[in-house]
Amino acid sequence: MGIRSEGYDSALSLRELLSGVAPDKLLAALTVLLGAPARVVSADGAWVMGDNPPLAESASRLPLVHDLETAGYLETTAKDQARMHAATVMLESLMRSGARYFMASEMHLEVVKADYEELQRRHAALMASEARYKALAEKLEDRVKEQVNTIASAHRQLYQAEKMASVGQLAAGVAHEINNPIGFIRSNLVTALSYVQKFWTVADPVKSSGDTALIAAWQAADLDFVLGDFPSLLQESVDGADRVARIVSDLKGFSNVDQTGEETADLNDCIRSACNVAANQVNSRADLKLTLGELPPLRCKAGHLSQVFLNLLLNAAQAMKVRGEIHIRSGVENGQIVIRFEDTGSGIPAEVLPRIFDPFFTTRDVGSGTGLGLTVSRDIIIAHGGSIEVSSEPGVGTTFTIHLPINKP
Amino acid sequence: MAELDETARKLTIKLVYYGPAMSGKTTNLMSLHDLLSPDLKGEIMTLETQNDRTLFFDLLPLGFRTPSGWLIKLKLYTVPGQVVHDATRKAVLSRADGVVFVADSQRSQGINNSESFQNLEENVHRVGLNFKSLPLVVQFNKRDLPNVLTEEEIRERWSAAPWPLVMATALTGSGVRETFVRLLEAVYPVLDKSFSMHDAIGADARSFINAVTGESFGNPV
Repeated sequence: MGIRSEGYDSALSLRELLSGVAPDKLLAALTVLLGAPARVVSADGAWVMGDNPPLAESASRLPLVHDLETAGYLETTAKDQARMHAATVMLESLMRSGARYFMASEMHLEVVKADYEELQRRHAALMASEARYKALAEKLEDRVKEQVNTIASAHRQLYQAEKMASVGQLAAGVAHEINNPIGFIRSNLVTALSYVQKFWTVADPVKSSGDTALIAAWQAADLDFVLGDFPSLLQESVDGADRVARIVSDLKGFSNVDQTGEETADLNDCIRSACNVAANQVNSRADLKLTLGELPPLRCKAGHLSQVFLNLLLNAAQAMKVRGEIHIRSGVENGQIVIRFEDTGSGIPAEVLPRIFDPFFTTRDVGSGTGLGLTVSRDIIIAHGGSIEVSSEPGVGTTFTIHLPINKP
Repeated sequence: MAELDETARKLTIKLVYYGPAMSGKTTNLMSLHDLLSPDLKGEIMTLETQNDRTLFFDLLPLGFRTPSGWLIKLKLYTVPGQVVHDATRKAVLSRADGVVFVADSQRSQGINNSESFQNLEENVHRVGLNFKSLPLVVQFNKRDLPNVLTEEEIRERWSAAPWPLVMATALTGSGVRETFVRLLEAVYPVLDKSFSMHDAIGADARSFINAVTGESFGNPV
């Protein structure tokens, strides 16, 4: 305790209470009022208004009370009690007025300071809140964009996957049904081939038998030629059956796009398999040329990549107004697998070129294309960490270039 | 917190009349000025009013001297009740030794009363006082008006509260002195604990209250 608190309710000295009054004017007025010299001193005598010198010993000392305490004294040599009382009342009124002014201004300062601090605090809180919302809003826009892209991409893949799943089911069913008959057809053809050899063993005995009727019938039927041609016919049929079997197996591999797991694959195999599947549509429109360099095995979704290659191949084939050439090249450049699909088709007009990867963009007639082929292709390539670019010149042809990073060992 | 000046042998106690606007805080002070007659009684100092509404505060100084020569000063303040003057209320409330909450008994004033009481509790915390241990008396004023809550209703509603309840009509002075005495009774033990009122200053509870209210010091009524 004993520490004087600052603020509107702190105790005030006589000097502070009379600070609003000009000392010489007040003392002059007091002297006139009392008809004798006057002096105003603080209770402890430390402060004297106007630094007036002490009065005679006989001077009266009248207490000046403020806030229940004697704050100072009015000293005067006057003898008139009424005048002395009036002077005291006047001084005390002045002190009271001073106190009132002091308290009001102190309180005003405290309130202004508190209000200002509160304002500052709210301002800071508002700024922080604004910054937070700003950041949130900025992030929100990005997040929404990102989310929209993710959803759209997922949607396209789902659409494609479903399409491929139904194609795959069909292909698997067909493959299963074809495999069996192809198996026994091939087996029978090989057996037939060995049977034909047996006919040759009959030829010499027939010719040397001297039986002219038999020989004439042999020659009439031209069996020498028949027996000579028969094995190559059968051999061609065996080859044909093998080709059917290969296409069926490619088709099966192709339709495995719903197997989303990664596997290690040689992309050249994927390209060849795509060519086999598309052979019918491609061969009627273009000559297919493959220049496949050696590629390192790649951890990838081979079914998905095969789908990309098939898309590009079919697009190239469809771009042919007249019979042209499709050239697929693969190789490793700058540590990346690079695959190019070049065609001599009609090319893509410059105004269409920027839009070809957009979802549902198609130049084909309604019903003949979904407009998703290139979009999904790009999604797949990006999912593998790669990129796909296109360059085209109308009337000359189009080149799609795929870059795929080689997996880190 | 009261101020103790050992050299000047002076103890200054701060008491605050709190409450919603127009509940009669200033009227309480004016009544007390007329009712009490302690050794030392100052004039009511009114700081800034606007249409008779307090802007800053009113102040009534009271005091007495103990036989051992101590000066005990009590400064009674009112706060401005209007909601906008919260910063002033907070400033007046700081360092208070006791509070009278002046509520308006009219039925229409229930919300104002409770908002103001909540504001008191908040401001008590904001100025660093402990609401649980702060001496507090609740006065329900304006008992003379029609359409007021009955005393039973009020006592029922406040039955769980630990503070003394006093019914008053400050305009006629009824209950004003009682409210003040109940506050002094609550304030004395706290002061005694902090400043050894009894041993060091030589004022026991009864003589302290008598002296403040104007009975001669040391002579019970």
